[in-house]
Amino acid sequence: MKYTSKDLGSFGLHLINSDKFKTITIKVLFHTPIKKEEITKRSVLADILLQSSKEYDSKRKLTVEAEELYAADIATSNQRLGNYIVTSFTLQVLEDRYTEENNLEKSIEFFSKILFHPDVENNAFKTDKLDIVKYNTVVSISSLKEDATSYTLARMAEAYDKESPISYRMTGYIEDLEKITEENLYETYQSMIENDYVDIYVVGNFDNKEMTSLIKKYFKFKKIKKRKQSYYVTIKKPRKRRLFAKETIDNTQSKLAIVCPLPKLTDYEKNYAIVLANLILGGGTDSKLFKEVREKNSLCYTIYSFVNKLDNVLIITAGIDRNNFQKTVDLITKNIMDMKKGKFSEHDIEIAKEFYHTSMEELEENEHRLIGEFIGESILNTEPMSERVKKMAKVKKRDIVRASKKITMDTVFLLEGVKNEEN
Amino acid sequence: MKKISLSGLDMDVYEEKLENGLSIYMLPYSNKKNYFISYATYFGSDVLEYTANKETIKPPLGIAHFLEHKMFEQEDGVDPFTFFSESGTDSNASTSFDNTQYICYGTKEFSKNLRYLLQFVNQPYYTDENVQKEKGIIAEEINMYEDMPDFQLEMGLRECLYKNHSRRFDIAGSVSEIEKITKEDLFSCYDNFYVPNNMFLLIVGNFDKEEALKIIQEEVGEKKKKSLPKTTMIKEPIKVNEKERTIKTTVEIPKVAVGLKVATNDLDLKELDLDLYLNMLTTILFGSSSEFRERVRESKILNGIYTEWEKAKDFRTFYIMASTINPDKLLGEIKEELQSHKVTEKDFQRIKKVWIASETRMIDNVDATVNNMFDDIINYRQIIPNKIEKIRSMKLKKIQELIDQIDFSNISTVKMIQKKK
Repeated sequence: MKYTSKDLGSFGLHLINSDKFKTITIKVLFHTPIKKEEITKRSVLADILLQSSKEYDSKRKLTVEAEELYAADIATSNQRLGNYIVTSFTLQVLEDRYTEENNLEKSIEFFSKILFHPDVENNAFKTDKLDIVKYNTVVSISSLKEDATSYTLARMAEAYDKESPISYRMTGYIEDLEKITEENLYETYQSMIENDYVDIYVVGNFDNKEMTSLIKKYFKFKKIKKRKQSYYVTIKKPRKRRLFAKETIDNTQSKLAIVCPLPKLTDYEKNYAIVLANLILGGGTDSKLFKEVREKNSLCYTIYSFVNKLDNVLIITAGIDRNNFQKTVDLITKNIMDMKKGKFSEHDIEIAKEFYHTSMEELEENEHRLIGEFIGESILNTEPMSERVKKMAKVKKRDIVRASKKITMDTVFLLEGVKNEEN
Repeated sequence: MKKISLSGLDMDVYEEKLENGLSIYMLPYSNKKNYFISYATYFGSDVLEYTANKETIKPPLGIAHFLEHKMFEQEDGVDPFTFFSESGTDSNASTSFDNTQYICYGTKEFSKNLRYLLQFVNQPYYTDENVQKEKGIIAEEINMYEDMPDFQLEMGLRECLYKNHSRRFDIAGSVSEIEKITKEDLFSCYDNFYVPNNMFLLIVGNFDKEEALKIIQEEVGEKKKKSLPKTTMIKEPIKVNEKERTIKTTVEIPKVAVGLKVATNDLDLKELDLDLYLNMLTTILFGSSSEFRERVRESKILNGIYTEWEKAKDFRTFYIMASTINPDKLLGEIKEELQSHKVTEKDFQRIKKVWIASETRMIDNVDATVNNMFDDIINYRQIIPNKIEKIRSMKLKKIQELIDQIDFSNISTVKMIQKKK
């Protein structure tokens, strides 16, 4: 595998050469500083671009054409990365030697036309298409509660700090959806193409020169842009006293979510020590929380923790019976205290390091995770993979303890399951 | 070792069968760092009752899944999760209707991990105490699923489709059923179904096949073949059990489900051919490039759709599940599409192209390849080396013939709406 990155002024081109895949994957990312009221519009925009294009004026025609290109796969997503919204479009298609000559170029052209030749008239998207996307968005927003864990995490973040980007809901908001028109959506589209920072990642088996000229031919962005704002969220200091927040739901199981803000982590701790601390505390099936809360005390089926480096938080979540709420929180508190006191072994550290190392090795086997890694490196401004692996191996227990001392529970949110058996 | 070439993919599967009946399938890769091992038994929640040594036993529902959880309890106190973690290896297990599998996957210590996987699954350790302890964990697992509207919808549809069949019941059982499980129930299932001639091993990725075989011989070679218990055949009517049902629950947006129950004994096509043609039919009718999708999308009555064929004893069942603000209208559209079952040569040829491309792409990914091979072993008890050729040689005429043999009115529909707050 070889990674090369070039700043072409109007966009960054990142080429990842790997012989492990029969496909070529191209991911185009549009980054813009996040504003809460813009989230819904960006989500609608990404969806509407995949509904139709100037050339293929219905979703079926678009899909049929993609299938004719040997099942070229085109997908979109809207993600919050720290202080930014990142709207991405991905093409994945087989190399020509598994299909026919020129299939790759035809697929790239088809893909670029979806981005650059949208189905618009008089500077406005079509009403029938916008209505379809609006309907889909309403349904997604309304069914948020069906996934109780995601809903709990969203409510936890809102209880913690509803002004912070970490509480923004990426599915969007009904009140913002109502304000979207065919015209203002087109303005958002133009602004995305003209003003957003753009990155293009390509993974697969290709010649860099040929690929660069293909990309330059089909992706023409005019303006030269520089990123001003940092991706890192400035997180508030933990409250002096924990905040408990609760909401009931008509379910059997209750969901618990706890946020621990980490405003004082150093860059080194963020990229190394806290990663290991999290793995030891709640990273997987060998973690303290899994063993203590699930295996020893039978309090839950799922429990885990994760760190978001851009948001500067550590989050713990579990599915429990409402009667075990206090007992579970106490056990989690005790396990965090143990981390701070250094009550874990060198062996625990070794295991965490092995997991980290394996996950880095596995990265190369999956094109999407590979792109994710390089996006992370560029926006987090971290050292390259191979350097990080070496540095991680040298992390000492005292480093992990020092980072763990900065873990403080701030908001404890309970989505309390109270089953109503009546219809 | 038998070498089986996967045509069109430049890869070879190696197959071996031990004297005691254990089947081994290995697909080594030369350009991957990771490996994936699955050790599985053809024992899942489909077994409702069985006869062994002239004794008929009816264990509580959810026994296969409970047993899977309890496999992770070892007499020496070593937690298998911990053992695998030492080399940064992930491990897990899952129970389905027709199988239970134990897996580990990572990039290091292949030999040590393979040996341990075989050892821990070959050593059950159940005590009254550890069986009791697991009930709380599994109850939370069941509660988690039962709170999910999609799960409620699927279970509602299963109850409508089947009267007696094992596919009526949740794989995990229910909180009241698992409460009855004892260590004796577990030992009985283990002794009868976790025997080499009812199990197989699937290994894919970066490993040495000779080394793997040597370890398997050492660990499992001595295990004895055993005559398998007789699973009681449950008589299931061809007709669906219940035509329609309405479920009132917590959803904000209604959902619908439609199930088509197809009895397979009288169909001309069998096994893989049958599955390919059934899949082709419903991909043309309901797939992402179908006219049906375009129609319901444009009339704004569809948000998210999931379709799947399920292979069960004597039946193939097609499931459609979707969210919609207009359940009655969408149900009407789905039923109409099933009745009209219009298939054109153009769509047929295009979907073939898509499938061949997907097969070619899939092999890049170890996880996806494992899942695919695993399904083939479970469904057909063998590796299918020429799937791409099979797809390429499919004929439109055969779909037409198949359509004529299916009773498209044998369906159940479920509507899920919001209950009063």
